[in-house]
Amino acid sequence: MSQLDDLKTAIKSRLGELECVIGWEQGYDPLHATPLFIRSEADLDRLIIGPLAVHNLATYLTGYKGKKVGVVVKGCDSKSVVQLLNEKLINRDDVVIFGLCCDGVVSQRKIRAALPADPGFVESVEIGGDGMTVTVAGQAATLKFADVQADKCRICTTPDAIVSDVLVGTAHTPAPAASLACQDEFEAKSDAEKLEFWQETMSRCIRCYACRNACPMCVCRDYCIATSRDPLWLSQDNTPAENMMFQMVHVSHLAGRCTECGECERACPVDIPLMLLRRFMNKQVKDVFEHQAGAALEQTPPLLTFKVEEERINERGW
Amino acid sequence: MPAQDVRELRIVGFLCNWCSYGGADTAGVGRFTQPTDLRIIRVPCSGRIDPLFIVRSLMNGADGVLVSGCHPRDCHYAEGNFYARRRLEMLKRFLPITGIDARRFEYTWVSASEGQRWQHVVTEFTRRIHELGPAPSFNPASEADWNALAVQASQGQGCPCHG
Amino acid sequence: MERFITKENLTRLAEELVATCRVLAPVAGGGSVTFRRFQPGMTIDLHTRMAAVSPKAATFPQTETLLVVKREGEEKKPELIETLPQGKSVVIGCRPCGARGKLIFDPVYETEKIKDPYYLQRRQNTVFISLACDRPETTCFCHSVGSGPADPDGSDVLLTLVGEGYVARSVTPAGEEILKLALFTDAGDKGKEADAKNAKAREMMGEGHDYAGAPAKLLARFDDMDFWQAQSAKCISCGACTYMCPTCYCFNITDDDLGLNSRRIRTWDNCMSHTFTLEGSGHNPRSTKAHRLKNRVGHKFSYYPDLHKGVIACCGCGRCIKQCPAGIDIRQIVKAAQEYSE
Repeated sequence: MSQLDDLKTAIKSRLGELECVIGWEQGYDPLHATPLFIRSEADLDRLIIGPLAVHNLATYLTGYKGKKVGVVVKGCDSKSVVQLLNEKLINRDDVVIFGLCCDGVVSQRKIRAALPADPGFVESVEIGGDGMTVTVAGQAATLKFADVQADKCRICTTPDAIVSDVLVGTAHTPAPAASLACQDEFEAKSDAEKLEFWQETMSRCIRCYACRNACPMCVCRDYCIATSRDPLWLSQDNTPAENMMFQMVHVSHLAGRCTECGECERACPVDIPLMLLRRFMNKQVKDVFEHQAGAALEQTPPLLTFKVEEERINERGW
Repeated sequence: MPAQDVRELRIVGFLCNWCSYGGADTAGVGRFTQPTDLRIIRVPCSGRIDPLFIVRSLMNGADGVLVSGCHPRDCHYAEGNFYARRRLEMLKRFLPITGIDARRFEYTWVSASEGQRWQHVVTEFTRRIHELGPAPSFNPASEADWNALAVQASQGQGCPCHG
Repeated sequence: MERFITKENLTRLAEELVATCRVLAPVAGGGSVTFRRFQPGMTIDLHTRMAAVSPKAATFPQTETLLVVKREGEEKKPELIETLPQGKSVVIGCRPCGARGKLIFDPVYETEKIKDPYYLQRRQNTVFISLACDRPETTCFCHSVGSGPADPDGSDVLLTLVGEGYVARSVTPAGEEILKLALFTDAGDKGKEADAKNAKAREMMGEGHDYAGAPAKLLARFDDMDFWQAQSAKCISCGACTYMCPTCYCFNITDDDLGLNSRRIRTWDNCMSHTFTLEGSGHNPRSTKAHRLKNRVGHKFSYYPDLHKGVIACCGCGRCIKQCPAGIDIRQIVKAAQEYSE
């Protein structure tokens, strides 16, 4: 049986006890999937998995507090679930986790760059082997997964769900930790170059807060300090400074909590490389606290605790 | 940094009520000469300082931000500065990716009896900020600067991963 | 008037206009195509793809200063300065749907009783040079909301790509003025080719969906929260749909206090946000995302048409579909309401 069939069987056997099971279905065109909320066996027929199933469905879990739901997770998504559990934001008994052994997902941005015409003109998509054939505006193009994979998949160390009630698929041997060349390249720039980059990039931001709302760890939802008038943290004015200020709010509130699922960057309608900031912060958290959010159950986020003697923070004697 | 020699810069200081504010007071009572660029905001504890206070100050045009609290293991509230230490360290390490010079922010510990140490800290930090000069504004300063940035961006000098 | 302009000359046109007006054009940068204030040295990107953000900022900027307050000490009375927008603007290279967005604004911002001087000033002083589309995207549905890929309504000049340039047709007197510039040449018989291209683009779209009856059908679902909860399940309550939308016209007004100088600003607002309807008392009449999505869809396809001669408050550009992080398709929601049987 295929991985999808196994998954469907597993969901079918638990569906009766659950409010719904969150998975994916084919979206508005052959290149896009969209979240699916399975409530009946008829809904189950529409379930898909695979490289187009990009959304981190853990984002929806806190919205179902007090209800018992199922969720389908890739390896990366499962880290968000772990982090939510560690912070007691969801209850383990209230969630049935259908874990996938994931072969990676695509980046719509990379597909867009690799196609001979705008992906909006897509006619058909065939997925198979190590790539996909996409027909756009009458021209067929063969794309290799390795070329259009999301950045997070290139450096993925957890392809298989790390927490699950049911795990489907063939287990992978996780790759060793690596860094992204583009991240290293950006970090090596001078302060002045980085400042200029963010000034310009943030002038494109329209502050739609898609980054915030797509984030599984942004659990304040309707009560974010970014939209509070009292205290007033941010002006409604959309200047680069205010837009960047919001990113600083997001990154600070995610320090030691971000699982690098990349949803913020994926959700951004104007393609701002937000993960540059998050990956860098995570690196600092790892260096100082040897902590990786969502990597294991029963971890305490480092900023919610302390040590009397910090091994890796100097005492700042002057 | 005597104020009469050069233009004063805007340095914001967040000091805890119990130690560093007292330390600054001790320095004043002892008539230790100090630069006058620092504008002090007194907070109950360094644990009260949201790192975003510092970010907001820098984004709103502060040329430097100095945070000072009780020495670790000597917090008036027993553990406030232990939390503060972790938060402030993370912020200090994070700033470089944003293009804000991390030297514009410093945190340290000064007790109420350390008037001389306070004088040293504030003098050194003010000297450092003067060496760095006024902080560049996050918003491009003039319309010409905005335009130059926009043109540059359209020529593809963007993010390495996004081209 | 019908004229012709080469691709290079279109860039030169932008460069010439910069001297006298604010020019907005789609420009690529950092992997995204967005409308930017054009500067010589930039490359106008008309064909890579439709700009991510609509050109509505030309007539309705995301942030607009309504007035400035200046204070000098305690004794003097504060000075209030009204800041009406000055100067002319030209939008080059928007799509017909984007230009058409403001036709939805007009009946709201200019009524017998209320006239919005800020909007009207910009509206009168902005010229839209649109480019007809030659191929529909999977998210395009302009033909279902009473428009089409070469719809001149809302544009001042309509361009159609023919060979290495564009056939330019004026739609309004302001557009005609632009076409009198020396960069435009005689179109010869290229007009026929343009007509054929436009007809082909329309043909490729096929038959549109019929939204007749949608206002009543949506209204019938008004109290059916189960329906809206199911439709909004995947919504993450961000503002990508509204901020990208050429027809979304809601705003917020806030005061920015900057020491002795304050500003009153008007900024885009977003009905998908909890704070949009949050009342001072703490009560929120649209407390869940289901209520809010109901309002967004209902407003565009039911309440607005009921108030304004049946016009649907949507131009069919599809930005809300393709930019939605969760892939919500507004067409499917309206269809579900239309096809709903008790």
